[in-house]
Amino acid sequence: MANTSSPLADSSGLPPAEIFKPKPARAAPASTLGIQGWIRQNMFSSIPSAVVTLLGLWIVYAFLDAILTWAVGNAVWEASNRRECLDQVGRSGACWPGVAAWIPNLIYGLYPKDQVWRINLAALVLLVWAVPLWLPRVRSKVQIGLSLVLLFPLLASYLFLGGEKGAIWSALIALGFAAFLWALLTTATEMTTGLSFTRFVVGALGATGRSEEASRRIGFAALLVVYAVSLLAVQAMALSFVQTRLWGGLFLTTVISGIGIAVSLPAGIVLALARRSRMPLISLLATAFIELFRSVPLITILFMFNTMLPLFLPVGVEVNQLLRAIVAVCLFAAAYMAEVVRGGLQAIPRGQYEAASAMGLGFWQATGLVIMPQALKIMIPTIVGNFIGLFKDTTLVSIIGLFDLLSMARAVGEDTRWLGLFLEPFFFVTMIYFVACFGMSQYSLNLEQRLSAGERR
Amino acid sequence: MALLDITAQAGPGARLMALLNNTRFRSVLYQALTLGCVVLLFWYLVSNTIENMSQRDMSAGFDFLGVSAGFGIGFTLIPYREGDTYLRVFIVGIANTLLVAVVAIVLSTLLGLVVGLARLSSNWVIRNVARWYIEILRNTPLLLQIIAWYFGVFTLLPRPRDSVGWLDAVFLNNRGLYIPAPLVGSGFTVALVALLLGIAGAVAWARFARREREQAGRIRPVIAPVLALLVLPPLLAALLAGAPLAWDMPQLRGFNFVGGINIPPSFCALIIALSIYTSCFIGENVRSGVQSVSRGQTEAARALGVPPGRTMRSIILPQALRVIIPPLISQYLNITKNSSLAIAIGFPDLVSVWMNTSLNQSGRAIPIVAMTMGFYCLVSLAVSLAMNRYNRSIQIRER
Repeated sequence: MANTSSPLADSSGLPPAEIFKPKPARAAPASTLGIQGWIRQNMFSSIPSAVVTLLGLWIVYAFLDAILTWAVGNAVWEASNRRECLDQVGRSGACWPGVAAWIPNLIYGLYPKDQVWRINLAALVLLVWAVPLWLPRVRSKVQIGLSLVLLFPLLASYLFLGGEKGAIWSALIALGFAAFLWALLTTATEMTTGLSFTRFVVGALGATGRSEEASRRIGFAALLVVYAVSLLAVQAMALSFVQTRLWGGLFLTTVISGIGIAVSLPAGIVLALARRSRMPLISLLATAFIELFRSVPLITILFMFNTMLPLFLPVGVEVNQLLRAIVAVCLFAAAYMAEVVRGGLQAIPRGQYEAASAMGLGFWQATGLVIMPQALKIMIPTIVGNFIGLFKDTTLVSIIGLFDLLSMARAVGEDTRWLGLFLEPFFFVTMIYFVACFGMSQYSLNLEQRLSAGERR
Repeated sequence: MALLDITAQAGPGARLMALLNNTRFRSVLYQALTLGCVVLLFWYLVSNTIENMSQRDMSAGFDFLGVSAGFGIGFTLIPYREGDTYLRVFIVGIANTLLVAVVAIVLSTLLGLVVGLARLSSNWVIRNVARWYIEILRNTPLLLQIIAWYFGVFTLLPRPRDSVGWLDAVFLNNRGLYIPAPLVGSGFTVALVALLLGIAGAVAWARFARREREQAGRIRPVIAPVLALLVLPPLLAALLAGAPLAWDMPQLRGFNFVGGINIPPSFCALIIALSIYTSCFIGENVRSGVQSVSRGQTEAARALGVPPGRTMRSIILPQALRVIIPPLISQYLNITKNSSLAIAIGFPDLVSVWMNTSLNQSGRAIPIVAMTMGFYCLVSLAVSLAMNRYNRSIQIRER
């Protein structure tokens, strides 16, 4: 300021006025700045806090040290049986070769080794089918997502099970395959031209100018062609039959929880709507079903279906154990999901229903277009929490004798070469569950934040 | 009028349409259709069941309850002998399930409170230790944890001869935990009566002190007199009656311990796994409950000069409890239901002795499944009734 004296002061000839110059602020004390200050504030703010910090650090150190020494430091990486491991390090280190030798079984169970590619193929299809849901330029995400949830199981069940397929069965499998092809094609056209597959076909045939009716007919014909192609492909496929008794490991866990998840959400929505219905009888039936299945432990439901389902069905109809478990898990999950959905519906203000009626929307339109989308958005964290719970709960099927991931981990210790190996496979399986569940919960947090971005302006 | 005329003149088809579009008629129709479907389904299931059972020579009656079960149960809370009836087995199972539930509820609440408060700590290390404790334990299946505690810890403990002991009174080995057992002597009733009188006195004093505070503004000491009333009368009575309570200490004889109470390893593993697993959920409940109380409350209390400990006790917690308690109760129900996983490690709870052993042995699937489910439904019904009453009582009364 001093050397930029104003022209006014110059002309008057007076000496430039003394201008107040604040001294530069002193730096904050070193103890409140930077890493040091942060550590002081967050870890050593008082003597009790410092003591607790040290205790906490010691716990973390002891825990990590014990785990790492066992799992990495003292671990044996090469051995042909457990005896060799024990001779080298005793029990102080992990014996990983046992787990490595069992990894195929932990993942695929007893599924025939030469048929394992079918599981891998299904997983690949699932992955490819789901990828468009994360691509920003794809517009038919809802349709692709719905087709994935509803029609992928048709395709996957044939890949997993194989065997004879009758006419109806073939048609259903082809439906699944056609939906997959449609998802691929529509993703491709939307990524390149921005038009959905059917619109793209109409455009390619030069029929853009025609009436809405005509172009819809052309689109339908295109879908029929896709279906015909997939029907031919399915007819050409011949896979050998694999009994469900051979299914196991992570594969079985995923199948059970996947079906449970896919069934529980729509079933839960229907049950929740029924429970909130103004028709007393329907509401009563839904409430009774939900409360019954929610008040008893899953294991009793599994036992019940295991012993009673054969009694409920006509004489001579055999239901395999996997199907019994899946039915039990689905009913159980649907009851829980119904309560989640009901909670979400209750959070929607009455004004939304009234506004929808005022616009002339009927019950189903109001529910499907106005209420449900908002409610589902609120419910995402709880729904994902439920999915995580379901994924963890599928371990219970090991109690009724299915070979899920947990049973497979216990089977390692019964192998004569790795007799008594318990901690290592358990550690491995725990890590699988942890990564899956933790990943899901973090993703739901992320999704929740992104979806509520509009409210945080 | 004109509209009505049109409907009246129109043919039967239009009248049918009008009827179908009538909301009340539609509601009745839907309900009738649903009822019809449900009745049909039940009829189908029941007729199939009857036919199946007649083919397999099974019976659905409850007459087997009076028959001797003839199998032993490893751990029973109430007396049970091998020759006792199936009904007795059912009751033994219920007692064991409730025992597990009560012990796990107490432990998980204490642990959950600690974890929840640690999660809210201003100390970064503690906050994150608590966070990862919760993340790791609640993202792995409970069944896996129970099995890991049982096979990975409790069965790998040393033999009785090398067991871990504290103060020569508590011993831990691969046969379980041995603790001293109280031996009730002659004067015990006197002490018990004194204890009951003490409790009554303590409650009366607490009520009196509260009334004094609320109506007259006088603050009376509460904690010290209440403790004194609880501890002193039974102690004095016991001393006067000549120390009627003795302890039966566990002692190593040969290869095993005799005396004291033996808690089997399966019980220990189940309790520890259940308590730790549930403490994660309770901890998160506590955290969200405390966080739901607005910061303004803390700040207002500070402005009024209320010390931090008292702010937590008298201002934050009472408001937080309103948010914490409903999910807490549902966690308690979860503990009761999850205790059924005992079957995986052979602890004889209701599902294990009744739905597994008794069902396989007697073959009476229907009554046994119905009784088991009935028990769990009853528990959950009772708890939710109590819950609803509680919820009504704590609702903020708006004036």
